[in-house]
Amino acid sequence: MQLLLFGAFNGLIVGFFYALMALGLSLILGLNSVINFAHGGFMALGGYLAFTLAPFIGFWGALAVSPFAAAALGLVAERGLIRPLYGRDPLYSLLLTFGLALILEDMTRTIWGAQGVPFAIPDFLNHPLSDVYFFLTGYRLLVVIVAAVATGALFAVLRYTRLGVCIRAGNADLETVASLGVNIYLLRALNFALGILLAGLAGILAGGQLGLTPTMGSSLIMPSFVAIIVGGAGSLIGSLLGGLIIGVAAGVTTMYIPAASEVVIYLIMALVLLIRPRGLLGQEGLFE
Amino acid sequence: MTLLLEAEGIEAYYGKSHILHGVSLSVAEGEVVTLLGRNGAGKTTTLRAIMRLTPPREGRVRIFGQDVTGWPTHRIARGSGNGGVGYVPEGRHMFRHLTVEENLRVPPPTPGQWSLATIFSLFPRLAERRTSKAGRLSGGEQEMLAIARALLLNPRLLLLDEPSQGLAPVIVEEVMQAVRRMRSEGTAILLVEQNAILALAFADRAYVLSDGAIIHEGPAAELAADSEKVKSLAGARASRAA
Repeated sequence: MQLLLFGAFNGLIVGFFYALMALGLSLILGLNSVINFAHGGFMALGGYLAFTLAPFIGFWGALAVSPFAAAALGLVAERGLIRPLYGRDPLYSLLLTFGLALILEDMTRTIWGAQGVPFAIPDFLNHPLSDVYFFLTGYRLLVVIVAAVATGALFAVLRYTRLGVCIRAGNADLETVASLGVNIYLLRALNFALGILLAGLAGILAGGQLGLTPTMGSSLIMPSFVAIIVGGAGSLIGSLLGGLIIGVAAGVTTMYIPAASEVVIYLIMALVLLIRPRGLLGQEGLFE
Repeated sequence: MTLLLEAEGIEAYYGKSHILHGVSLSVAEGEVVTLLGRNGAGKTTTLRAIMRLTPPREGRVRIFGQDVTGWPTHRIARGSGNGGVGYVPEGRHMFRHLTVEENLRVPPPTPGQWSLATIFSLFPRLAERRTSKAGRLSGGEQEMLAIARALLLNPRLLLLDEPSQGLAPVIVEEVMQAVRRMRSEGTAILLVEQNAILALAFADRAYVLSDGAIIHEGPAAELAADSEKVKSLAGARASRAA
């Protein structure tokens, strides 16, 4: 039982990393029609920026500022590189973000080193909160809380703000949104930045938990795509759910059959695709 | 009379097929102009070219005297401080999974007589259904929502593409009532219609489009009086209605 809980909680944490990544990828896929392979690169960038900023503004300051710094860099990439490719064959933006992913990874390697760096978290967060549930440290609890709050805030923005309403409307019909006087160039830029903001946050949280390496982005991005497919393309709640499901499944599997912890993710994806090709909450007709 | 809209020599393509061949038309302040023609004549493309949803390859568009050729769609819709252009597309293009109220939040708030409150008094049915998903509205309610959405930009010019499409006659009458109200408030209207009889009864002036070119232009009443001409110019729908 102890083992199961341990695995499930580990999985929940990793699942939240997947979910934050998948939510950002979904946002960008929905409105910008871009499959953002560079998402993992921006995630790592968020983590490393926090690592660099923490000595000056402290852990909490870095946690608050770095996602926005990553989002600002994402905005630059959208303005300078991705924007000219809107309206063209999706293959172009896919190739571009794939190249950008390689550049970002090598950039982090050049600046911060290939070895990886430990991201120091405040000492009091390192201790277990309970003797029985030794795996329940303050930091792990913090990860769950911050990720849950960020997800809640995202859904609140999409539901209640005009920006969110325009993003949801634009997912369905961007042309009509433009004809109603909305600057869709700005809307796409903000939406891209919002997605990168979530990636940056995931990078910082993951850095404190798993350490920072230049390849952390590329190792987390594939499961995040799987999360979208499992949850259903076009559904943000699906992406959240998909991330948590595969995270917990991988976490629990690690406890019993460590070798199968990665395979299980793809098994779940295969199973979902066989039984329900549109994913758990996916829109009808997208893949069927 | 000031011209609100002037399109001059519009050439438009869908991919490689040449749809509009030098279309020129104008709408004056407070005027209702209808654009008639058979299916595939290029009526919808003309409106899309004006909004730059289908960017014209040649030709100029002036709105309120200002050359807007090359402006992005949202700037044309918002206008340049003296009122925008409301566009109600063919098939309504609701955001189906958004509520009525959310649909109405998409256009940026613009100063003028049309606000959520005045819109709801013009279309009480939309007020009743404000929390319903737009996809669950009836065809007539969807048309009203599409018009309401465009009105929130406080346009001085409204482009209406086939507002009667797929609606029962009673509902068409209800929709036209709202359009008449806008007209009496001084909004100029460019109305694209398959139903020539309906459109001619309503408009001041008419253009007829065929194979992407204007083949007739004149007062609506004159054309309406000559049903043979309507039939030959604008196609079968008109003859059946006549």
